[in-house]
Amino acid sequence: MAAPIRVLTAVPICDGHDSAINTINLEFIRHGIEVVYLGYHRYATDMVRAAIQEDVKALGISSYNGGHVEFFSEVARLLRKQGADYIKLFGGGGGTITGNDDVIMRRNGVDKIFFAGTSLADMVDYVHKHYGGPHKPFRGSKPNADMQLARKLTEIEDAYANGKKKRPTPKGRKSKKSNHGQTRVFGFTGPGGAGKTTLIDELVLRLLHREPKARIAILSHDPSVVGAGALLGDRATMINSQNERVFMRSMATRGQAGGLSPATEDCLMLLAGSGFDYVIIETVGTGQEAMPFQTGLVHKTILVMNPDYGSRLQLQKIVMLDLADIVVVNKSDQERARTATSEIGRRLDQNKQSQILVSTVANRHRDAGVDELCDLLTEQNV
Amino acid sequence: MSKLGQVVEAVENYNEFVLKEVKRARTDEAFGQQMVDRWNDVKAKTPIGTAPTGLKLPRLALPEIDEAGEITRYLLGEGLPGEFPFTNGAYREMYLEPLRELEAGSYGKAGKNGKNGHARNGRNSPKIAAPKAVEVEEPTRLFSGLGLAEDTNARFHFLTGHQRSARLSTAFDGPTLYGIDSDAEGVFGKIGEGGLAIDTYEDMVRLYDGFDMGSAAFSASMTISGPAPIIMAMYITAAKKRFGPQVVPNLRGTIQADIFKEVQAQNETIFPTEASLRFLCDMIEWTTREMPRWYPVSISGYHIGEAGATPVQQAAYTVSNGFAYAEMLAARGIPVDQFAPRLSFFLDCGLDVEYIALARVSRRIWAIGMRDVFGAGPKGQMFKLHTQTSGRSLVAAEFKNNLTRTAAELMLAYMNGTNSCHSNSADEPFTTPSEEWIRLAAHGQAILLDESGIFKHTMNMLSGSPGMKAVERAVEAAMLEEFRQIEEFGGVLPAIEHRYQRSQIQNAAHRYEQQIYDGTRPIIALTKYNDLKDEMPEVKMVRTPRAKKQLQVDRLAKFKKRNAEKAKHALDKLADVVESGKNCFPTLIEVVEVCSLGQITGRLQDIVGHFRPMV
Repeated sequence: MAAPIRVLTAVPICDGHDSAINTINLEFIRHGIEVVYLGYHRYATDMVRAAIQEDVKALGISSYNGGHVEFFSEVARLLRKQGADYIKLFGGGGGTITGNDDVIMRRNGVDKIFFAGTSLADMVDYVHKHYGGPHKPFRGSKPNADMQLARKLTEIEDAYANGKKKRPTPKGRKSKKSNHGQTRVFGFTGPGGAGKTTLIDELVLRLLHREPKARIAILSHDPSVVGAGALLGDRATMINSQNERVFMRSMATRGQAGGLSPATEDCLMLLAGSGFDYVIIETVGTGQEAMPFQTGLVHKTILVMNPDYGSRLQLQKIVMLDLADIVVVNKSDQERARTATSEIGRRLDQNKQSQILVSTVANRHRDAGVDELCDLLTEQNV
Repeated sequence: MSKLGQVVEAVENYNEFVLKEVKRARTDEAFGQQMVDRWNDVKAKTPIGTAPTGLKLPRLALPEIDEAGEITRYLLGEGLPGEFPFTNGAYREMYLEPLRELEAGSYGKAGKNGKNGHARNGRNSPKIAAPKAVEVEEPTRLFSGLGLAEDTNARFHFLTGHQRSARLSTAFDGPTLYGIDSDAEGVFGKIGEGGLAIDTYEDMVRLYDGFDMGSAAFSASMTISGPAPIIMAMYITAAKKRFGPQVVPNLRGTIQADIFKEVQAQNETIFPTEASLRFLCDMIEWTTREMPRWYPVSISGYHIGEAGATPVQQAAYTVSNGFAYAEMLAARGIPVDQFAPRLSFFLDCGLDVEYIALARVSRRIWAIGMRDVFGAGPKGQMFKLHTQTSGRSLVAAEFKNNLTRTAAELMLAYMNGTNSCHSNSADEPFTTPSEEWIRLAAHGQAILLDESGIFKHTMNMLSGSPGMKAVERAVEAAMLEEFRQIEEFGGVLPAIEHRYQRSQIQNAAHRYEQQIYDGTRPIIALTKYNDLKDEMPEVKMVRTPRAKKQLQVDRLAKFKKRNAEKAKHALDKLADVVESGKNCFPTLIEVVEVCSLGQITGRLQDIVGHFRPMV
């Protein structure tokens, strides 16, 4: 099977009109396209950085409150300046974009504008027809480091998608020594809705602030829709991670259970050997029996829990509680958090593995619990 | 149970109560006779007006019923215009032209819902005075904003040339809506597009230049939510600079300031929800005390509808958001009769059949909830409504058809007794309206209200048809079901955190779009009768020239330079107040004298953080 087409979609700065793009995203996904969604109210620089890091075939912008000629042209200029105009730029804005605007925008490097009244089916067709096929090699001068890394990740993903590479069976899998120089690798997992994405983003904010030169890589996962594409939406929530010192890559699970993609392990190896100070990997929301990160590539595994996991009996079934180095009870301002913390605490004590329990409220600004987690992860020799 | 759950119960109880009273009117002869007497009294005292043709018409139309049970069902179940539960209107008279000759009638003066009527109803009967033959404000209120403050000011003067009263409605550009200064990185192209640019209170002075801001014939509406408290502070400061501090209690108008709908649909919020709500409540607490004629929040379904919600979702989320604000304000210790009369609402009006009764049902649910759950007096039970015709329903293909779409929507809005109304311009799919089309939009309302006789002679002219009643019953049941769904999450805020409303709206939007192309929703000239494959129409685009954008940036630079030293101290003071947890609105009013919008937003975000978008 050919690898799915990946596109990035976004809405420009100072524009919150996301109804059209949400509908288009859903339609793309239904037709086998993987959509990395950057969200609304986004800067041109953030779009270009994200498009390069995600190595998408095309970048789609939906603009509804004016200034589109300037904005699209700026995005095209930035892509060209980096030698990344192999990423095609398309978009629309209903009737706000006129025929005259379209002429100017295309002259400035925009590939395609969908005018008012274009059907969803026509957009899907266009993307399949024009943005499918193999990735084009970089043109001319040397591609920058982000571009090269992004392309290598694409090659790994595509090799698995094309069946050229298969995920080794558990038997054949060797336990790899974690030996990536100074790079620290953290694996975050936990059930859906526990707040992993927000927690990681808050952690990134602190790492960037505390270590003014640190570079961070994030490998985030979202589930593929059965028989279809995927909405990779973590970037939209991770506002602090849209930063020039962060390399982020969003991956679809492409049919694999357990919270990761078939290509994850190879991609993680690559990132871990690419000179970052920190590499953070996030699984999709996992079930009780999931046990990702078992091949020694990750220095610290963090299980993020929601206080609302149900009864104590449910707690006994969560395999990661035995395996995680750190267990975070997020949303600890909720009513049930006190009970949850003490139940989980007792469970960890029984394990006798000096696992650490941290309580956080990731969506609270300057939360002390997240500070504590950051301290734990950056301590020397942990 | 959150207050919303209690509202569901209150509406169910009230409906049962009405049924019981209907039965009682049929079995208890004395009670039945009282209701009939009241009914006859209202009819007898209804003044008679005269149409230009000489036709005599009662100024209030009532159903032709004479049986005690049906009379009771009408009086208690929907109420006369201006009476609980306000189904037929928050006020009486509304669109009627003044009586030409004074007549003695005064509907139901002695009625008071019947002496032995529903006891709790007693306090709802407004004091009824004979209608005054004065020119009232017309309900037309057109949204406008373009370029810089002086450009919008010119548009305001152009618009009010067609109206008796100055009812201005202000649209802001993207950077202002997001609390960003015009000199910020990457926003230059957005300055003055889709609305006007405001960076400092000085822009606000220019914006309303030539208008008497403290006059009883002037009111301003400002459509902004994320940074609303800062913009409100600038408005107050601009008014004080022009008319002195004594103008403040006289200021009339509204600011949208609705954080819930931003988080659910419109996405123009800049601080985390909790902090945004705190700043909002600070503002409401202050303005409801110091500016008794101001409406400090416009609880809006328009953007929920525009984002793709069904009409029922729109009304259900909006009204439930209203109850959530009431719950928050009451929890702050603000007396219900201080804040409830100052809450107002804003709904979308499109072409779906639900719009025949959407506002009627919303008024009824609001009134029952506010009276029976929150204990509000009559003024706090009234659902005061601004309506805008649907922008989403307008189509680029053969766009002149939009005049017809808007006209149909206007009919629906006025049939629903909206208190003010914006009619969209036909060129809206393309651009901020040009003068040509906004003039036609304003005329559309004038034709309906002034030229035609549909609304000016008789209240209830089109209310209560069997079809309308059928829609009402279906919509009320569906709205209550939505309330129950929200209640299952524990109320409005927890439902928001679970992205319940957002995902419902997104699903509805996707379905709507599919229905256009599968034929379920024919769109004329787009999917039906679309034989005219025309080119893009020639529409005059309203855009802000580069030189103007630069002028805004230069003005801001001068302001910042002039106030650099003072700004630092002012922001420090603001930070202290915000950290202390005290009401920060009075400080904001001082700070805007020396700080720009972006400076203030930036400092507040340092303290409370940024809004994290929900996908």
